[in-house]
Amino acid sequence: MPALELRSIRKTFPGVVAVDDADLVLYPGEIHALVGENGAGKSTLSAIAFAELKPDSGTVIAHGTVGLVHQHFELVGRLRVWENVLLGREPRRGWTIDAHAARKRVRDIAERNGLRIDPDAVVETLPIGVQQRVELLRELDREPSVLLLDEPTAALAPSEIESFFQTVKALAACGTAIMIVTHKLQEVMAYSSTVTVMRHGRITATMPTASTTAEAIAQAMVGGEIPKVAAREERPLAPCLSIRTGDISLDVRSGEIVGIAGVEGNGQTTLADSITGMIPYDGTLSIERNGRPPLGVIPQDRQAEALVLAWSIVDNVMLGRQQVLRRGALLDRERARTDAQTIAQRFDVRAANLDVAVKTLSGGNQQKIVVGRALIDEPALVLAYNPTRGIDVGAAALVQSRLIEARNRGAAVLLISFELDELLAVADRIAVMYRGRITGEFERIAFDRGAIGRLMAGLA
Amino acid sequence: MSVLHRFGGIVAVLLVIVLMSLAMVVAGTSPIDGFSALLTGALGGSNQLGETLVATTALLFPALGICLAFRAGLFNIGAEGQLIVGALLAGAAGAQMHVAAPLAIAIMLLLGAIGGGVWGGIAGWMKARFNANEIISTLMLNFVAASVALTLVSGPLRGPLATGAETAWLPPQYWLPTLIPHTRLSAALVLALAIAAVLTWVFRATVFGYELNAAGEAPEAAKRNGINIARLTWLSLTLSGAIAGLGGASIVTGELHRFNTQLSPGYGFTAIAVALVGDLQPLWICVAAFGFGILESGGLAMQASAQVPKDAIHLIEGLIILVLAARRYVATRIEKGQAA
Repeated sequence: MPALELRSIRKTFPGVVAVDDADLVLYPGEIHALVGENGAGKSTLSAIAFAELKPDSGTVIAHGTVGLVHQHFELVGRLRVWENVLLGREPRRGWTIDAHAARKRVRDIAERNGLRIDPDAVVETLPIGVQQRVELLRELDREPSVLLLDEPTAALAPSEIESFFQTVKALAACGTAIMIVTHKLQEVMAYSSTVTVMRHGRITATMPTASTTAEAIAQAMVGGEIPKVAAREERPLAPCLSIRTGDISLDVRSGEIVGIAGVEGNGQTTLADSITGMIPYDGTLSIERNGRPPLGVIPQDRQAEALVLAWSIVDNVMLGRQQVLRRGALLDRERARTDAQTIAQRFDVRAANLDVAVKTLSGGNQQKIVVGRALIDEPALVLAYNPTRGIDVGAAALVQSRLIEARNRGAAVLLISFELDELLAVADRIAVMYRGRITGEFERIAFDRGAIGRLMAGLA
Repeated sequence: MSVLHRFGGIVAVLLVIVLMSLAMVVAGTSPIDGFSALLTGALGGSNQLGETLVATTALLFPALGICLAFRAGLFNIGAEGQLIVGALLAGAAGAQMHVAAPLAIAIMLLLGAIGGGVWGGIAGWMKARFNANEIISTLMLNFVAASVALTLVSGPLRGPLATGAETAWLPPQYWLPTLIPHTRLSAALVLALAIAAVLTWVFRATVFGYELNAAGEAPEAAKRNGINIARLTWLSLTLSGAIAGLGGASIVTGELHRFNTQLSPGYGFTAIAVALVGDLQPLWICVAAFGFGILESGGLAMQASAQVPKDAIHLIEGLIILVLAARRYVATRIEKGQAA
């Protein structure tokens, strides 16, 4: 008997059909991957499965409780782990919370599922991977028969990903039906038993993972050839960015992409914030402008650091470009609109029009606007921090090829990425960061996955 | 955008009317009598209309100042103090000056803006420099302003013939011209409306307005996109205070013709409600100020002819804020429900 059945689901938002006539069945014990481009309707469909959204038509039949672990964690940072896990379901003793029983309960669930955690740790002090364990524990405490995981590994380090999937497998083995919403095809191939592909709100394929290939899934997702990363060209290079601090000595020349490889939390954010002037630094840092605006930034967190979510596309295209668009005391809104049109075209932004609030757009489309805005004034230096994180393969390839184009037109590009594959595909040179220092540099001709990986792990 | 959001203002007003009617029935008055007394008292003749517009003007200045600060994400609760400091400076100078009349009026208004601007700027500087919470500092500066004003007009600035804590009267040539003959309504109303128009333009077209709105909507994104938050903080609180202070000066030269410690019955606080009812849009704030002006000036008439206590007006004002808060809450809930 299925654990969850979605039948002929349809859901529309103003101007968009988010999900169209979708059928999805989850069986106990399976790990079901739901893949698709950003905006394909995956998040909407999982929200409907979780009964967070009501479909316009169609039926949802759940046998047992459904749990959902969000892509963006919904934790109370200042509370402890056990307080977060049991929030709203605290064991009571009269009028007070039975903290002793609560701790024990959290420890028990954690042990049963092989998750190591200190129930008394304050959540905001924990690394992201551990915070996700808290999210997972919270759902597990409700003993769900169906567990939905939305982009569960987006924030995890490689070692955390492996142990995370071991937990997931153990859960499935106990009879929980698991659905994973993801972009990462290698995880789909490695861990799922069934895969469902969505495209433009419709389900285009459901198949056993064993009988398909990553290429075939990617094909079904983008509905055609995967855009290829454009070819590089070689040319003599002039210096652009030069950093000399106690820990970091780094040069990026105009016309090259320098990748910063490293596991999250090894000083990448400090480096980026020093370049953008957000934090002070000891030493020297200079950008050769070559008659261009000095810096275009693609920040790590597009929603908090790059966009005003309540504003329109046009208004967001002006942000950070006040000096470029300034006409005396006024802003040139006509030009901003033209720029927004250019960006929407070059990046294939899918939106009803340029005046819709960016919060109504999918993550991939938001990111296209951020990247388009950073590149449109042809800055001397482009700082890109995980520019393809959490967006689908099609959008990611588009972003990467636009970065390469910017480089070909003479920009210096500093690409900080937590995904080594991305750097290997795009960068001309890779510098490895470990504990705040640059521990090695590799020219493209000498790229060596093993050697870079050892430096990233601090083994060399 | 939901229907509720778009017509929420009207729904709020209708709801308040219903609640007020209930209160009147409980108080033993027919709501029809009560409301007709209110409206007649506020709009029933040129005199009544004049008084309503006087109150409108007095509320409009601080409300526009508050609006500017709120747009930048700063809660200026100190418009009352800024208004008093502006009025004090204008009144003190006006009572001592001997210059040509138009110049004197200009100087008084300028001093009002400077006084209010300094008072708001202090809180802005403390926020920018030490990250002092502006809600607390602006609120506390209200008390400082009231105490300073009382001390000065009880002693050194007290008019020679004054019966209470007030400065000497301004000579009649230093009074702002009246707009409607035989009323107390002065040209200050025109000035307030002009400021509303300028603010609309500032928010819509200028770099400063854009950066102000960005800082208010998404401070982190603003900071990372070349917006100097510290500068914006002190600048917007200074300007916010300056507009409120200008309002204080305009009460002195347009309405009371002297500074008096009783000059404001809490305009700077009611103005917070006016700014919020006007949805932080300067032109809607003008409408809201007129609505609150009707309540302020019609309340007395309602008390006199329909035996509804004037405190009922504060009840209405409180209800409006409650309904408004509820509306925002409901609208947010609906928006969340629709989010993908």
